[in-house]
Amino acid sequence: MTTEPRQANAVVARLVLAVLWAIGATTLVATPANKAALEKHYDQFLAKSLARCTTCHLPSENKNPESLEDFPHNPFGARLRAVGEQLVSDGKKKDIPARLQSIAREDSDHDGVDNETELLLGHNPGDAKDTPSKKELTEAKGKRGEFQKFLASYRWQPFEPVVRPKVPLLAKATAIRKSGDSSAAFPIRNPIDAFIAAEHQARGLKTRPDASKEILLRRVYLDLIGLSPTPEELAAFERDASPEAYEKVVDRLLADPRHGERWARHWMDVWRYSDWAGWSGGNQIRDSQPHIWKWRDWIVESLNADKGYDRMLAEMLAADELAPQDTNALRATGFLVRNYKMLSREQWLEDTVKHTSQAFLGVTMGCAKCHDHMFDPISQAEYFQMRAVFEPHWVRIDPVPGDTNLMNAGLARAYDTATNSPTYFLHRGDERKPDTNRVMEPGMPKSLGGAFAVQPVSLPWQASRPDHREFVYHDALAAADSVVEQAKKTLTTATNQTIAIERQLLLDIAQSQRDALAAVIETERLDDTGRKNSEPWKIAATNAVFQQRLSSLAVAKLKHHQSKTAEAEARTKADPASATIAAVTNAVAQVSTNKAAPADATKQAREKTTAALAEAQKKTGEAAKLLADAEATVKSPADVAFKPRGTQSYPTTSTGRRLALARWLGSTNNPLTARVAANQIWLRHFGQALVPSPNDFGRNGKPPSHPKLLDWLAAEFMARGWSTRELHRLIVTSTTYRMASTPDAANAQLDPDNTFLWRMNSRRMEAEVVRDNMLYVGGSLDLSMGGPDIDHTLGLKSKRRSIYLRQAAEKEVEFLKIFDGPAVTECYIRRPTVVPQQALAMANSELTTGEAKALAKRLTSDSGEDPAAFARSAFARILARRPSAEEMSHCREFLEARTASSTSIRAREALVTVLFNHNDFVTIR
Amino acid sequence: MNPNHQNRHGCSGVSRRSFLADTGMGFTGLALGAMMFRDGIARADDSAWRPPTGKPHFTPKAKSVIWIFLCGGVSHLESFDVKPELNKYAGKSISETPYKDVLGTEGKDVIGANPVHGNRKVIMPLQAGYKAYGDSGLVVGDWFKNVGECADDLAVVRSLWTIHNDHGAQLTWQTGRHPRELEHPTIGSWVTYGLGTLNENLPEYVVLGVPTGDCCGGAFTHGAAYLGPEHGGVRLNVDAKKPLPFIKPPDGVSQEEQAANLSLLGKLNHLSGIDYPDDQNLRARIKSYELAFQMQMSIPETLQLEKESEATRKLYGIDKPECKAFGEQCLAARRLIERGVRFVQLFHGGGGGGDWDAHSEIKSNHTKLAAQVDQPIAGLLKDLKQRGMLQDTLVVFGTEFGRSPGAEGTGRDHHPQAFCAWMAGAGVKGGTTYGATDEIGFHSAVNRRYVTDIHATVLHLLGLDSHKLEVPGRKRLDMDHGEKIHEILT
Repeated sequence: MTTEPRQANAVVARLVLAVLWAIGATTLVATPANKAALEKHYDQFLAKSLARCTTCHLPSENKNPESLEDFPHNPFGARLRAVGEQLVSDGKKKDIPARLQSIAREDSDHDGVDNETELLLGHNPGDAKDTPSKKELTEAKGKRGEFQKFLASYRWQPFEPVVRPKVPLLAKATAIRKSGDSSAAFPIRNPIDAFIAAEHQARGLKTRPDASKEILLRRVYLDLIGLSPTPEELAAFERDASPEAYEKVVDRLLADPRHGERWARHWMDVWRYSDWAGWSGGNQIRDSQPHIWKWRDWIVESLNADKGYDRMLAEMLAADELAPQDTNALRATGFLVRNYKMLSREQWLEDTVKHTSQAFLGVTMGCAKCHDHMFDPISQAEYFQMRAVFEPHWVRIDPVPGDTNLMNAGLARAYDTATNSPTYFLHRGDERKPDTNRVMEPGMPKSLGGAFAVQPVSLPWQASRPDHREFVYHDALAAADSVVEQAKKTLTTATNQTIAIERQLLLDIAQSQRDALAAVIETERLDDTGRKNSEPWKIAATNAVFQQRLSSLAVAKLKHHQSKTAEAEARTKADPASATIAAVTNAVAQVSTNKAAPADATKQAREKTTAALAEAQKKTGEAAKLLADAEATVKSPADVAFKPRGTQSYPTTSTGRRLALARWLGSTNNPLTARVAANQIWLRHFGQALVPSPNDFGRNGKPPSHPKLLDWLAAEFMARGWSTRELHRLIVTSTTYRMASTPDAANAQLDPDNTFLWRMNSRRMEAEVVRDNMLYVGGSLDLSMGGPDIDHTLGLKSKRRSIYLRQAAEKEVEFLKIFDGPAVTECYIRRPTVVPQQALAMANSELTTGEAKALAKRLTSDSGEDPAAFARSAFARILARRPSAEEMSHCREFLEARTASSTSIRAREALVTVLFNHNDFVTIR
Repeated sequence: MNPNHQNRHGCSGVSRRSFLADTGMGFTGLALGAMMFRDGIARADDSAWRPPTGKPHFTPKAKSVIWIFLCGGVSHLESFDVKPELNKYAGKSISETPYKDVLGTEGKDVIGANPVHGNRKVIMPLQAGYKAYGDSGLVVGDWFKNVGECADDLAVVRSLWTIHNDHGAQLTWQTGRHPRELEHPTIGSWVTYGLGTLNENLPEYVVLGVPTGDCCGGAFTHGAAYLGPEHGGVRLNVDAKKPLPFIKPPDGVSQEEQAANLSLLGKLNHLSGIDYPDDQNLRARIKSYELAFQMQMSIPETLQLEKESEATRKLYGIDKPECKAFGEQCLAARRLIERGVRFVQLFHGGGGGGDWDAHSEIKSNHTKLAAQVDQPIAGLLKDLKQRGMLQDTLVVFGTEFGRSPGAEGTGRDHHPQAFCAWMAGAGVKGGTTYGATDEIGFHSAVNRRYVTDIHATVLHLLGLDSHKLEVPGRKRLDMDHGEKIHEILT
């Protein structure tokens, strides 16, 4: 390896080939995904000796095999292939399980034993010499029976369209009873509970009871809005004895705008939100783009409006094609804009393909850039087909009303460029080795099915010529007006005649430029409405030329005036009697030791001033000529060749490729979109996903704990119009969600990782929730919504919610980073850590100190002098619960001791600080 | 590793093993004996992956590492791979010399090249003198006279190359990866991930000096990527007053008061733990508060360099203005290692492209910068040796790439085709050189070695097998593991 070039992708490709060759040398090569499918179909029934390429292939006759074609099929493999070809010609999907099923009873190698029996008994079905013994055959029937039972069980098939599974009917003879019976240990409140309870029953797990009202309320508040309940809210909930007390809270929280902020942060993890990164105050934007915070606001607003998830992803991928004039929707393309990478278009597109597929499909397409996917049925060619979807797109910043400076304000968005460069197949994924003979057309992996139809989209002029929108004209004129106003103001403060003349000329320029701009815009308006070269247009254009000439004349007048002024100054200096020359001569004489110096210095100074005067005269002459030219030009007849305004124009059509992708993804036939989204949502409610690898639903990911439940949730999600709010409601109102998180030794023996959810998981708050709650509980949180990202160095000074703080490479809030804030590059799952830096931040930061002081003061004024009352209200406010008697006694003891050594208020601040540092503060039970 | 080989482990990583050890719950009054019944339970799946135990995989030679990194690209030609042929052909174009063939393969292995760099053809003579040192006769440029005196302790690797021709290669030196692949675990994080801590009062992995600038890797150069932030380097300023974020207790809170707060916190946490006896995070949190509290005192104490004798301070050159800053860092590194820190990463000249980036005036640039580090580094080696610490401490000296034999005006350009590094201390055969460049130092020519071969050597000396450290779902390639340089080991 040490002498090889180490370009990473090339290395991967070489590694893969090396693996294939290594296998080839001794045994055989198979399409890795086919081999994986064989293993998956037979699962634990497949002997290790058959989980090999040799099950279908023969050794290569070629000493240095170069491709799969060098490894011929054995009779079993040949048959499997033939069936596949038949299925394709019948217009069906050629999936391995169907093919294996259809040739199970055939005897491919003609050794008298059928293929499936041979496979189940550990013998090669394609090798006639490898046949089961008679003794082995006696076990065949039993094994076939077990295998049939296995085949009939619920199979997790994430690459097949979602089919709604039946909700399990539960045996009555258990502690689990039907819904409506609230005294049941595990009431079935909705179908989620039936799926969960069925697993509990099957595994002998005793379900935990509902959590206490205190714990449940804090859990659901933090989960749905990211802020803990106030003591008043807790009291009201505890008072409400109605059966739907909890559901009422859920409804209220789901309708709370803070819900959008809370869940936007989750989706920002999945969709890789990043503010722009780079240097020099925006002069070098390396990653993402300025104004991308508008995409964040779009996420918050969309969630609060309960926009369908299918629509959300369509807007993110293709709002410019779907709703090209809707500037609100266009913000959503921040999803694409975020991948912008100044230094490498290759990396930009690679990230786009990789993360689009991981976020929405839970498929690791990235692997297939260099080689056919090792585990999933995705070919390298299909990778480049997916890439072709994104190849034409680029990013730009459009103006927004109210500001003409695009660095100050703008809309960062995606669009398709006119130069639709072809997507080449890159040999081994190496950008240096494009196969220019293989131009890849856009497409989706065949194994995922569905219709992918690309229709080019004609764009309205507002999209292709954004600078011609009325507000842009208006803002440009308003800006010119304000220059005129400023010039008028400046003129009134002139202190002498010369300055007054100059300022008057400046005002003339401003006015003439404004008039010229107005005239140009007049022509553009006519042009916009298809009246270019019409009579009115010609008049306007002629006027524009005239106004621009006047403007040039005004500039020439100013220059002439300035050069005359400069000339007059130079003449004064050059006057031999001038004080300036005498002063210079004296100065030189003083510093010089040379007796002859004064005369020399005088001479030199005189030469200098004379030369300066000559230069000034020359300039005045030039300015006078320019002025005369300008005057002559104004007097000459005007034509229509005005100087146009500097504007951007873009293609009038878009390829429609991304819209096709969005429609393919948002189809109810797409096997993965709903499953992946439901799994992401589940993960964030339970701290544990149903498919533990939320960005990899493929063979290399982890299998689901509850495949049926996830399929049911996906079906339900789509049936409810892809409403994330309805999915949240369903989940948080289930009994499963309401369970206590307390342990149970017997259950822990059976299921130590709580895979089957016999209790709720305790979790640590995410970084943002820690910070937000510290501010909220302390009473300082500023709940205003939206707007530009707040400088990351103000992380502890700002009182806004953490979602509004800047987050980009090298621009992260230190406090949030310490609490495992989201990695900028990729964050499909958060893994909270426990490190001493967190303890230091919680114990010593100005945030803690400030909030502790404020809260101690406020609670004292509410609860009075009684230390016990203070401790109780501190527990209620900070931990949203009552203290136990023992906790109370420790707190009182602490308050007493600290009051004795310090003061009462200092003691109380200390207690509040301790409670902020309490494990229960950062933990959601 | 290809970044496409997927993250199934999320943004951070595994939890801090060392905190979970069932030891040292330092609070009185409430025993945690009843807690953690789960520890006694055999897990259903014994084949499941587990994080490293903290024990080496085989007998180690080294216990800890001081990893010195000079930012910007130190000339190999005038430091530890001196090339007298350059004086002979000075002013001539390389194509007029017998070595003209070297140009044909320039940049062959450079990925994502910055076209500005390279193609320097007119040979520049050596900008410093040189001399053979010690019994080994190791030739060292005059800029590093003091380090030269330690020649018999050094093993110089002269045949390194790297993958990128711009300063992103600084990140490559730490992770082995091309900079465009962004964050990957650094060598320091692998070491601490594999071995854990030797002292629970201090972080395992400490970073001193100004690290690489944002352009060229920034925080990634001392991060842990998917191994989790607890294995990332903790940046300390060599300033006992403000060594790390939030280390200073709030104004007006005495140590006794903090201790009393911590005591109440411990009691309350234990009480709420009664309902959750199997909560590992609670245990870890209690422990983290104890470590944090200890760190508030132990870190400032460690950084009190004034406690060292005058002679020791002089050895590191702290009495000289030019050496003071780096001398203090080297001395702090020794004190940290002495107290059980596993890995100290020492940056010199960090920020932007790096101070050593001598595109012009290399003579004055390298003269000035070498004067800042030469005596401190030599002092560190001598001090470690006289205290017997060099036996189990490994010192590594590196930079991101070499500098071009051809002139760029009065400077030398970036040169990824060849550069050198050295190691000293535990398990290293002193007074050796390994590998070679061609006669004009253009290409790494004999026994070419990539950056991760240095990593592999370090891990080997610490008793670690990097293959055994792999995290599921995070397949590493041969290029990540590297191959140890057997020839420089004792």
